[in-house]
Amino acid sequence: MLKLVVRKELLTALRDTRLQVSGGILIVLMLTAVLVGKQGQRQIQKEREQAQASMYDKWVNQGEKHPHSAAHYGQFAFKPKPVLSFLDQGLDTYTGISVFLEAHKQHEVLFSGAQDSNGMTRFGEMTVALVLQVLMPLLIIFLTFNIFSKEREEGTLKLIHAQGLGMRQLFIGKVAGTFLIVLMIFIPIVVLAYLLLDESSASIDAGVTGKFFAMALGYVAYFLVFVFLSVLISAFARNSGLSLLTMLGVWIVSCIILPKATANLADKIYPTPSQFEFKRTIQHKVKNGIDGHNPSDARLTTLKQQVLDQYGVKSIDELPVNWSGIAMQAGEEYTDQVYDQEFSKVENIFRKQNRISEWAGFINPYLAVRNLSMALAGTDFRHHVVFAKAAENYRRGFVKIMNKDMEVNHKPGIAYGDYKLGKEMWSSIESFNYELPGISSVLSYQWRSITALIFWLVGLFFLSSHYAPKIPKL
Amino acid sequence: MKTILHILSFEWKVLTRNNSLKAIVLVVVGAGIYGIYFGKFEIDKQEHRISQVQLYEQQQFDSLLVWARLDTAVADNKKKRQAALSPSGVGWSKHFTYYLTNDAHSTAGLCLGQRDLYPVYYGFNVTDLARQVNTGELANPMKLFTGNFDLSYVFVFLFPLLIVALFYNLYSGEKEGGTLSLLQSQSTSVRMILVSRGLLRLFIVWALAALLLLAGFIIQGESLGEHLSLFWQWLLIIFGYCLIWTILMGIVVWLRLSASLSAMLGFGVWLVFTLVTPALLNLFVLANVPLPNRADMIHAVRNHNDQAWEKPRSFVFDQFYSNNPQYDQGDTTSFHKWYYASFTLMDKEANALKAQYEMQVGKRNALLEKWEWLAPAVMVHERLSRVSCTDRHSHQEFVKEVHNYHDELKELYYTRIFQNEQFSMEDLRRLKEML
Repeated sequence: MLKLVVRKELLTALRDTRLQVSGGILIVLMLTAVLVGKQGQRQIQKEREQAQASMYDKWVNQGEKHPHSAAHYGQFAFKPKPVLSFLDQGLDTYTGISVFLEAHKQHEVLFSGAQDSNGMTRFGEMTVALVLQVLMPLLIIFLTFNIFSKEREEGTLKLIHAQGLGMRQLFIGKVAGTFLIVLMIFIPIVVLAYLLLDESSASIDAGVTGKFFAMALGYVAYFLVFVFLSVLISAFARNSGLSLLTMLGVWIVSCIILPKATANLADKIYPTPSQFEFKRTIQHKVKNGIDGHNPSDARLTTLKQQVLDQYGVKSIDELPVNWSGIAMQAGEEYTDQVYDQEFSKVENIFRKQNRISEWAGFINPYLAVRNLSMALAGTDFRHHVVFAKAAENYRRGFVKIMNKDMEVNHKPGIAYGDYKLGKEMWSSIESFNYELPGISSVLSYQWRSITALIFWLVGLFFLSSHYAPKIPKL
Repeated sequence: MKTILHILSFEWKVLTRNNSLKAIVLVVVGAGIYGIYFGKFEIDKQEHRISQVQLYEQQQFDSLLVWARLDTAVADNKKKRQAALSPSGVGWSKHFTYYLTNDAHSTAGLCLGQRDLYPVYYGFNVTDLARQVNTGELANPMKLFTGNFDLSYVFVFLFPLLIVALFYNLYSGEKEGGTLSLLQSQSTSVRMILVSRGLLRLFIVWALAALLLLAGFIIQGESLGEHLSLFWQWLLIIFGYCLIWTILMGIVVWLRLSASLSAMLGFGVWLVFTLVTPALLNLFVLANVPLPNRADMIHAVRNHNDQAWEKPRSFVFDQFYSNNPQYDQGDTTSFHKWYYASFTLMDKEANALKAQYEMQVGKRNALLEKWEWLAPAVMVHERLSRVSCTDRHSHQEFVKEVHNYHDELKELYYTRIFQNEQFSMEDLRRLKEML
């Protein structure tokens, strides 16, 4: 009997021209999004790889110079385009893509795509994520808004009931039927996207397959939530019109209004400090410490005394090592300390802000799937921070090597311009390489979104099994 | 005419008694008020940042003026006085960091546009500007991604939905309610009746829009008298936009479909014009004409800067003096002159490269603009952010201002540096006036 209901739902839906058209549009949109998106992602990835390689090449072949000049010549770190970003752009348009790495200074990760585009960018880009998160629920709404009310209006609901089919079974049948149609549209896209994950993908991100399937699973859960929700609304709505209006209302609030309101509210609760304050604080704190170019501070005097004592000499001129190298490295490390402190403050504020939208997943399943999908695609805020930190660590690494060389090899008495290093030294620094966080770390920090989806599924399941027998038959 | 008036007064009663319609209007108005407050909150935050920067700049300059007057008999004061009066700075530190702020335009709070993507101020000294404007503002990318809930958003996204809700059953409501034959029996034609009822609905939408806009101006604290033309510009754009949607819904009504089908069609049109088309345009333009590679530009600038210090002094002076003969005193040995001449040359190269890059970006954005008409929502949002000076173009204008200001400041600095002179008190007063 249940099979019959599912079959009936499938057939009616497949024969409905309106659904054929809207389903068709959805498929075309997703195909376009996948294919064009993949091509774009490949191109950008290639461009950044080339840029990274060419910048490293420039570093290696920068010619002969003093190690400190080389540290100022600096390097660049480019953010690799995550493999799955062709499915979900996430925040990629709004985060910077490259950062200049040099001595003394932590530069910002700059040049987001949004800054270089006009206002249209803010309307979003057609990605699979957009179709699945925003448009698929609409298809579900169109599939289900009259799934009960029509039968009620035509009087068939009573007939079915008279044949001995319980309302609970009928409800499950309708949910299963609708869900199957959704899967019929979804699965081919999953297969296509999977086939597009070529070998080079694995070289960029080893855990890509796992992330891909976790993402697909997340969407399946999301669809199921929406199917349950809309069949439930349809079951209790007085008529088809009201049911449609309610569902569209739910959709507009959860997909259009709430996400914006949540992000804006978060900014109000945890205010973002300004760049001005951020820089001023760092400057102020560093000023009380040491800076390689300002050898007059109290800290520097202490350090000087320490070094002199260590080598058992009375003046800098007698030191067997290069004092500037030591002072600069000490300055670096002090600045790093201050910077880390301040940076983590800002990072924490942003995390708290984002946490609000993660918790909001319990009121709005759209937010839950959006955050989860972005995280698995490697395009969320965390990934950006991981990149920024990796680049900063790389900077510290090579600047330290330059300072150390200066300390040990640039003997006192030799003029700055006369101590030079070449290719051998530059190429001893490995090229910047950054690995995306693995799937387990992503899933563990996204526990709120995952729990929210499960909460919705379980909640709706219990709600419907409790209320299904009470569905009005007239 | 009498019948129409009669019908309209009846219509008004029906509309005001329709509960779901009341709810929708309430939601739209509520969203509008929230949007106005949120926009004000954002702009106030930016203004606060701006005043913070300006205050800091004033304080710093005032302490410089105090330093300049210090008695040099005290050894400690000598250094400070030197720092205040030396145009080339002392050691590695430069003379002064100036700030230029991008103050918010009167209606910026009603349409925040692209303003949140860019810094609202730049800080710079008289060395090369190109590197000093490579900064951003701290912003949570998640918030930039979801966008701002301001009044323009309510107009662009939610008003069309209101129009769909008001119009979808204009004809089918009568048909399905069984009152169509009654209407047909009237002496006035059904079309006439439908048009007048449609106009009444349009006027309601316009009135709501005008009221929200008025509230927006008042809550933002902008007096209408001063910004009357701006108010009219806004009103015209929004009225036009509402009219477009009314015409679109008119076509839907004209198709004489059932109520639920009309509603779905109207909603579908909304989806296409506000969501799908912009997203597709972004996808295609991004994929086909990706943003030019900034890496090349950045590297070229860095290389120029790096080489600038390797170049022989004579080369720097030859170039600099031929471009700026007013500074040419024949001196080719001074370190400071060489140092600052190099910055000017670096900026020149960097600006040329940047201009080239900007041109490419401009071409790409022109492509987006060319297809903008496919998405009226985008078109209207762009117009609103243009009149509110919150679009990308306005930011570029601000960057131009920064360049001009930098040039103005440089003039006095370079004059003193190349004449081997210190700043006089008069000079410092002039600089203070320029703040």
